[in-house]
Amino acid sequence: MSDELVTLTIDDKEVQVAPGTLIVDAAAAVNVEIPIFCSHPKLDPVACCRMCLVEVEGPRGPMLQTACSVPVREGMVVHTDTEQVQATQEANLAFILLNHPLDCPICDKGGECPLQDQTMRFGPGISQLVEPKRHKQKDYHISDTIVLDQERCIICWRCIRYLEEWEDKPQLALFKRGGATLIDIQPGQPVDAKTGGNIIDICPVGALTSKVARFGFRPWQVERTPSIDPHFSTGDNIRIDTRTYAIRRIVGRENMGVNDQWIADKTRFAWAWVNSDERLTTPLVRKDGELQPATWSEALQAVTDGLKRVKERQGADAVGGIGSAKLSNEANYLLQRFMRQIVGTNNVDHRDGGDVAALSTGIPSLAAVMQPQYGPPPQYDVIMLVGVDPSEEAPILDLHIKRAVRRSGTTLVIAHPRHIELTRYPGSYLGYRPGSEATLLNGLARMALAVKGEENQTVSQLTDDATDERLLNLCGVDPEAVEGAARLLVEAKNPLILYGPMAAQGATGEQVRNGLTNLAMVLDCYENLGYLGLNANSQGCRDVGVLPDALPGHAPLDDEAARTLLAELWGGELPTAPGKTYRQMLDAAGDDIGALLVMGADPAGERPEWAANLAQLDFLAVQELFLTDTARLADVVLPAVSWAEGDGTFTNCERRIQRAPKAVSNPASKAAQDWMILDHIAAHMGMQWPYASAQGVLEEITTAIPAYAGLDWTALGDQGVQWNAETVRPRPAYRRCRQDDLPAAGEGELALVTGTVAYDGGTLFRLTQAMRDMIHAAAVTLNPDDAAQAGVKDNDAVLVRSAHGELRLRAAVSEEIEPGTAWIPESLPGAPVGALLNGREQEFVTITPQ
Amino acid sequence: MALNDLVKNALEIGKAMGVTLKYLTQTPVTVEYPNEPVSLYPRFRGRHELRRYENGMERCIGCMLCEAACPTGAIYVDAAENDPANPTSPGERYAKVYEINLLRCVFCGDCEEACPTEAIVLGHEFAMANYDRHDFILNKQTLLNPGMPNVVIRPD
Repeated sequence: MSDELVTLTIDDKEVQVAPGTLIVDAAAAVNVEIPIFCSHPKLDPVACCRMCLVEVEGPRGPMLQTACSVPVREGMVVHTDTEQVQATQEANLAFILLNHPLDCPICDKGGECPLQDQTMRFGPGISQLVEPKRHKQKDYHISDTIVLDQERCIICWRCIRYLEEWEDKPQLALFKRGGATLIDIQPGQPVDAKTGGNIIDICPVGALTSKVARFGFRPWQVERTPSIDPHFSTGDNIRIDTRTYAIRRIVGRENMGVNDQWIADKTRFAWAWVNSDERLTTPLVRKDGELQPATWSEALQAVTDGLKRVKERQGADAVGGIGSAKLSNEANYLLQRFMRQIVGTNNVDHRDGGDVAALSTGIPSLAAVMQPQYGPPPQYDVIMLVGVDPSEEAPILDLHIKRAVRRSGTTLVIAHPRHIELTRYPGSYLGYRPGSEATLLNGLARMALAVKGEENQTVSQLTDDATDERLLNLCGVDPEAVEGAARLLVEAKNPLILYGPMAAQGATGEQVRNGLTNLAMVLDCYENLGYLGLNANSQGCRDVGVLPDALPGHAPLDDEAARTLLAELWGGELPTAPGKTYRQMLDAAGDDIGALLVMGADPAGERPEWAANLAQLDFLAVQELFLTDTARLADVVLPAVSWAEGDGTFTNCERRIQRAPKAVSNPASKAAQDWMILDHIAAHMGMQWPYASAQGVLEEITTAIPAYAGLDWTALGDQGVQWNAETVRPRPAYRRCRQDDLPAAGEGELALVTGTVAYDGGTLFRLTQAMRDMIHAAAVTLNPDDAAQAGVKDNDAVLVRSAHGELRLRAAVSEEIEPGTAWIPESLPGAPVGALLNGREQEFVTITPQ
Repeated sequence: MALNDLVKNALEIGKAMGVTLKYLTQTPVTVEYPNEPVSLYPRFRGRHELRRYENGMERCIGCMLCEAACPTGAIYVDAAENDPANPTSPGERYAKVYEINLLRCVFCGDCEEACPTEAIVLGHEFAMANYDRHDFILNKQTLLNPGMPNVVIRPD
């Protein structure tokens, strides 16, 4: 296609557009409105609603053509306002309204409905219909969260096309013919796509509405605040609609660098926790062994006394701070400043923080994985996923990957202990045994080198442990499959390698990161290696230095330049000794650690043994939204507000810093923003910090972190700004990647596979009434062979026992689980998989029927 | 001259007495309110009422159009989904909360005009004095059970 512009005339206005542009888009460029229903800028044209018919002059006179499907031609002459066009539009609208019920007053779309608007603008103004309308099913639940009204549907195919073109889950279809045509799901198969809620946004009428937001608002009442997703690390752009101190709905917002305009269902529907009655509204202080309501000054004084007492008795390194990747940059920055400057220790970390060998640069870019409807193709032809399941951990990334696979022929190489959903696409799947990542990566690097036919002494030496035999016995992977995967990677022009915290945690995490670096260097794509965190601010939490071994801006503790900068900014001396990681702090709680300040984390709910340790602490202060298991053990509980109730910035997995401004507030609550609480504790400890607002804290972050320079609140705008990865990317170097043999599974033992699922039993999800049935059941999933061997059937009660503990669960049987493994996700309702773990790479469990 | 004046004055007095005599036999216009009811024009707009259908279902469907039409922001509606087994109103939607702030209301009747189901109407009750400011907020309970159910539905 040539790049020369095409010139055409629309309603006597001359317009120049790129070739291939559709008439409807060309018309929009000169402010000529052509009514549309079925056409959508992010879906393929189908031209089925006939609303966009315009007159195009041709050799045989003017002819009616659909503007939404006809591309522009040089010299084309288009009329959109002739008598014939108007007559067609009026007839079309009358036809669409033939069976459309006029229940606009109770329709959630009323007020922002394209059908209403276009009937007013282009319609005949009168109705000639006297016959009764056809009746179809109303209030029909096609999933737990989406309600279909078949009467209102105008058969535009938008939802069908979305599920087909983006989700690749054709779960909606048209049935019957003519006027009786109706949209429906396949019998007994509700829409279960992780981003299915997007069909509500694109429905041009009120046929698809949200069960969660139903009847809670009228479009003209709500206040709209642009914000970002609090659940997933992709940082999807959303709009929060609020009315009378409560969130009423969340919809997607376009950001072509992040989420196109799609958002995950969890983001769209799971916000009931913000308005929940279970929220903490007042500080609590432990008096006579009970947590009792207190004033803020009492609570702050108690925190100050507690921390000072432990610091004096056991030293500064007996105090620790736990941040959270679910909270904003501002809160996390101040937590580490508090621990480093005022307490004087590097004991500051978050979950998946110092225990995981992450990359400081996150993933290269989401835009490079995207295949928008009109835009450049993705840059990667092979995507390798190591220990990442985008379908559960980042549904929007999953959407982009699926689209890249289907539209641009991207191939997937998946290394995961579980048959994840994306394995349904052609490519290579390596189902390794958990804990054997390093050897598998060495094997891949070795074979990639062999396929390339190159000699490289260093790599050969580094990877000589990954023999075929070891791949088979230790990793449980067929060496031929590894070679196939290596071939795909080598033949790729531009491969992308992503790994997640599951692959690189614990003692071998460092080795795995080295193995990945070596592999990426062998493939000449060092800069395409990315780490995908799991929480909304996984990246930002690292950026602002909530790590025991790094200062803000990923500077090592002994980096003189960073130390001088921070010393000037904060005043005073910074501690030099590396602190304890999240797991180390919790393992040592009640022992070497005497006091903890926990902000937005719930370690007690994660592992029962940590709960026991926390109970032994001299002093525990918790900043929380809810009375979690950890908060119940605390001496002081400080009520905090959620992401929607205060200003804050979040950095997504591709290093894009985005704003989440205050959208809603609860006037009856005494809860405060996390940064403000820390600021007040600091003041009680005798240190006056200079912040007047969250924006003020961000201002300081832009000074403290060189990569953030200049990115203040105004500069970020509504679409966020990515910081430059080159400023912190380590120089490429081959590193040692070695792994000891793992103990083999004993008789009847299965390797435990754990990980994150989107619909878990966490507070942020379970409080959404409509989605209760979607929560992952408290179950252990087994391969049918293993289940038969253990003598359990689907839905049997079983006892799962490891060397460290036991859990009572239901059994589930699925082909998607590799033989020899047992899959138990994290934070299941009432069943913490942490009870079975002790921080080792590999854990074996036995399953006994109850 | 004097006689002339005398006759003239007598005539005037007679005329005046005539008026007195004329009204002496008629019923008085004065209404002994509150002992007697006040007659009102049919289109008088007084305190609001929410109506029901004959089968007892509420007419209000919680569409919030009255709220949108209200020029003073006196109405607050919060809608919810009907329990299909035990519906409050016909259809899927009903008003969970319906409040009118009488201190803001200017009795313009725009809410009546906007209502698609003729649920909210202005009645004939005008005595709305109260001792407590909170009592000026009419909730659904008071609106559905008016003291004087005597409403004329205006044709347009």
